[in-house]
Amino acid sequence: MPEIFVDGVAIEAKDGQTVMEAARDAGIYIPGFCWHPQLSVAGNCRLCMVEVEGDTGGWMDIACNMPATRGMKVLTQSPKVKERRKTMLEMVLLNHPVDCGVCDKAGECMLQDYHYEHNGAASVATVAKHRTTKFHELSKRIVLDNERCVLCSRCVRFTKEVSKSHALGILDRGDHSLVRCDEKRSLDDDPYSDNVVDLCPVGALLSRRFLYKSRVWYLQPTPSVCPGCERGCTVDLWHRKAEWKFNALDPRQNVAIERVTPRENPAVNGPWICNKARDLPDLLERPRGGAPMLKGARVPLAEAAGAARRMIDAASSPVALISSWGSNEELAAARDALGPRFRCFVKADHVPQPGERVGDDFLIRPDKNPNGKRARELFGTAPVSLDGADLVLVWGEGFDFADVPRGAKSILLNAFLAPENGHADAYFPTTLQTERAGHYTNFAGVVSAFAPIRRAPAGSVDAEALFGMLAAVARVPA
Amino acid sequence: MKHLIPEFEKLKKRYPAGLDSALVLPCLHRIQADRGYVADEDIDGLCEFLRVPRIQVEEVLSYYTMFRRKPVGRWHLQVCRNVSCSMRGAERLIGHVCKRAGVSQPGQTSADGRFTVSTVECLGSCGTAPVLVVNETYHENMDAAKTDALLEGLK
Amino acid sequence: MPGRQLLMTFPVTATSHLLAAYRERGGYETLRRVLTTMKPEQVTKEVAASGILGHGGAAFPAGRKWQVIHLDDGQPHYLCANADEGEPGTFKDRWILENAPHRLVESMVIAGYALQVHNAFVYIRGEFDLPCRRLQAAIDEAYDAGLLGERIMGSEYSMDLVAHRGAGSYVCGEASGLLTSIEGRKGYPRNRPPRLTVRGLFQRPTVVNNVETLSNLSVILAMGGEEFRKIGAPKSPGTQLVSISGHVAKPGVYELEFGYPVKKFIFEDCGGVLGGRGLKCIVPGGISTKVLTGAEIENVTYDHASFAKAGSGLGSGGMIVIAEGTCMVRLLQVMVRFYHHESCGQCTPCRDGMGWMHKLIDGIVEGRGRREDLARMEAIALANDGTTICGMGDACGYAVTGILAKYRDEFEYWIANGRSKFDGRLEVAEAELAHA
Repeated sequence: MPEIFVDGVAIEAKDGQTVMEAARDAGIYIPGFCWHPQLSVAGNCRLCMVEVEGDTGGWMDIACNMPATRGMKVLTQSPKVKERRKTMLEMVLLNHPVDCGVCDKAGECMLQDYHYEHNGAASVATVAKHRTTKFHELSKRIVLDNERCVLCSRCVRFTKEVSKSHALGILDRGDHSLVRCDEKRSLDDDPYSDNVVDLCPVGALLSRRFLYKSRVWYLQPTPSVCPGCERGCTVDLWHRKAEWKFNALDPRQNVAIERVTPRENPAVNGPWICNKARDLPDLLERPRGGAPMLKGARVPLAEAAGAARRMIDAASSPVALISSWGSNEELAAARDALGPRFRCFVKADHVPQPGERVGDDFLIRPDKNPNGKRARELFGTAPVSLDGADLVLVWGEGFDFADVPRGAKSILLNAFLAPENGHADAYFPTTLQTERAGHYTNFAGVVSAFAPIRRAPAGSVDAEALFGMLAAVARVPA
Repeated sequence: MKHLIPEFEKLKKRYPAGLDSALVLPCLHRIQADRGYVADEDIDGLCEFLRVPRIQVEEVLSYYTMFRRKPVGRWHLQVCRNVSCSMRGAERLIGHVCKRAGVSQPGQTSADGRFTVSTVECLGSCGTAPVLVVNETYHENMDAAKTDALLEGLK
Repeated sequence: MPGRQLLMTFPVTATSHLLAAYRERGGYETLRRVLTTMKPEQVTKEVAASGILGHGGAAFPAGRKWQVIHLDDGQPHYLCANADEGEPGTFKDRWILENAPHRLVESMVIAGYALQVHNAFVYIRGEFDLPCRRLQAAIDEAYDAGLLGERIMGSEYSMDLVAHRGAGSYVCGEASGLLTSIEGRKGYPRNRPPRLTVRGLFQRPTVVNNVETLSNLSVILAMGGEEFRKIGAPKSPGTQLVSISGHVAKPGVYELEFGYPVKKFIFEDCGGVLGGRGLKCIVPGGISTKVLTGAEIENVTYDHASFAKAGSGLGSGGMIVIAEGTCMVRLLQVMVRFYHHESCGQCTPCRDGMGWMHKLIDGIVEGRGRREDLARMEAIALANDGTTICGMGDACGYAVTGILAKYRDEFEYWIANGRSKFDGRLEVAEAELAHA
């Protein structure tokens, strides 16, 4: 454990750490575009240059590639260091278009931040800027603005080292260097491609999904968990801040998920997520079920619940198909309510879609449901069997109603609009994870929390509450 | 490039075992000597043979000045424009070569496909400057008369 | 003859580069003696004792570089000869490759034996057509004669040697860029640490030495390190192949014993300045060394200490003679254009700085220059000083600051008057030559 001194403060560096790592661990921020804790050291932006005091005069080098050695005295704020940073930023800005006004990255751009903190002066360049491609379609999901690119190579290293798609490279040389995709492939083949948008320190790589949708300072992140597979990656759902609700907008737009980014979590997904998580709006903002129904006729919740209760009461062999999308809280309520009375089976609400990556050795897991592990812990692992059932309670998606035994009654809990909603004897529109708080337990047993970003639509009911309403009868022994 | 694979296999034996990516440059040189440039299918074949990502070969081809992905004229005339050559008449030589080759500026190929003219940086021919390279062969201590005589023989 | 000759010891003929001729000159006898009578450590000791400095430009003691390699570390070691001679004005290694390729091959086997290397490379400029062919032919001859490959000269030692062609990139002449290039990638130089002798080619300990440095090994081992040290200047043992070009009457490659007077070399051995003009300045060792005026080299001798004292370096041995009446603005423009063209684009100050300087000097030459541009060019050079991954940023800085410091008036003249003080001339006019 070498002890080093950064700006006079003694800090303990771990063996093998660089000055950059040790300093950041100690809360001392050394700026840099290319350095990223999860990527190899490229050392190309030269912004993290620090001064090391020595007996025979000091020396300067980049902190990201400088091994922390016992007793070394590092200066991160000396006049020489500040001068270097300023000149590096002058270089970076030489060909940068400074089109922040129309750049999605504005507000969370490292170049903006560094400029304000370490340069702040008007441009010293008198020569014409180097013009190159803007709106280069890197994939169906990502556009590249080469004029904004600072050639930090984070995106390239990501596809080499993390996603291992080797899709990106830097072509040509000198100030003509261009980030490009392998000609024969598209970055779309990389299911983790959108991470490069987050990795990009500037506005060179942009999500087409989010392009020009909102200024980032209108948005706030709410912690959530991706339900796309049993990895349960922790994410931030970005939606408009309450104070920036815009009356002229469609009310749905005021509460929409504008974008999804990873919420760093070393225990689950590190700082990454796959593209499916980026597309959560597609999954979570489908048309909703509306109101409770009895055989397709809309009824008040109490009436539907009463009817369901009577069905349960009358059944001699009820079966429940448990949703692997239920939260830990909902699953517990379901077990309390149904356990003694029902034969319960866990079903997969979602299965891999055509073209979807089933699984890999990185993040993506074959079980495309967020809480299968917890559901199986509570309800066992027996395969679904409807033999002899006279009542089938279906919770969630992924069940074919043609499989309900002839003559058996059916109760359906489903958040989304679906034809079978009207076929069920009793139907309840349930809430989504974006409308309530709760937890999922991922395949490895790690529990992650999600929080609501908006109110549930009128008429919908929390499954947890609904199971409570049904419990009154369900608890009576058969 | 498939017909070159036996040659590549032989070359492999003199390189450290298992470090096939070292053969990227030698193989590309050989392919270019064979075809005159490196075609798309060559890249695919090479990547498969050496098991390197395609983007790596694309990067290499774009980075090094000697590799071409398009054919050039039958005679590729390259004139050094660096310090020593410039001090011995390279700038005039470039103009003269362009004129005789029938192109308006370096980087172009004559309409009949006979000549492509390029400028290059120092070729280590400073002591015998200026230098004109035809395809791979150096022609040193060049002047207008010698250029005319040389180009006359290149059909 | 400018002092003792160690490499240019024979008349160059149509066959003098072949194995038979080299053997007639005693070639490969030193290797035989090394392989049969010396331990690898003894070879390194001799090299260290010789005090030989790297001849590629950085002048790092070769022996000290070698001593970092641990022979018993249980991993493969690699040896690379840096024959990517691309520093403008330099063509001395080309002479060795064309005329004495076996001297290099023999020396590389000696070095390989000392470092226990089984795969060695000569990274040679792709553009070097004849040198490539001569080297390849020499390697083939050596394989056929049992001087390369399995059990060299019947010994226990085996080494493969390949001539690996570059493909047009100045920065591949930097040792780490060279290794990245051998690895089949763009020639991006690497950050240190780690040193290449710790993690070099394919992450294995690797020694990269210049062609001339390596070629001296068979000489050193033949005469002994201590004897070698007696040649040349006290802190610069041995000789240097100097390639001289530009406005000089007899350009070419000369072997100079270190310590030889520079003016004598230019004016006596090389016939003086073209057309009988006065000497304006010299680029002492490739354009990445600072120019020295005629007055500044008055008492300079050809060795590292003397050039350092004069405020420059002997770099890669590529001397360029510049006659009175040459336009330094245009000359610097050519240099800066080259650096811009060759920047690999990896790190910020060089990638953006070279293009910036190129635009500024183009602006001056096109009559759009402003007085502040000169200070800006110096600031860019300073911003590259010690901040880039490889030495190229510094190298361009030396060229720019050297010329701007000594010939600032020419730049100011052009900016003020919109034209060159010397008609933009780079050549010595043909009329003058005829007259002389």
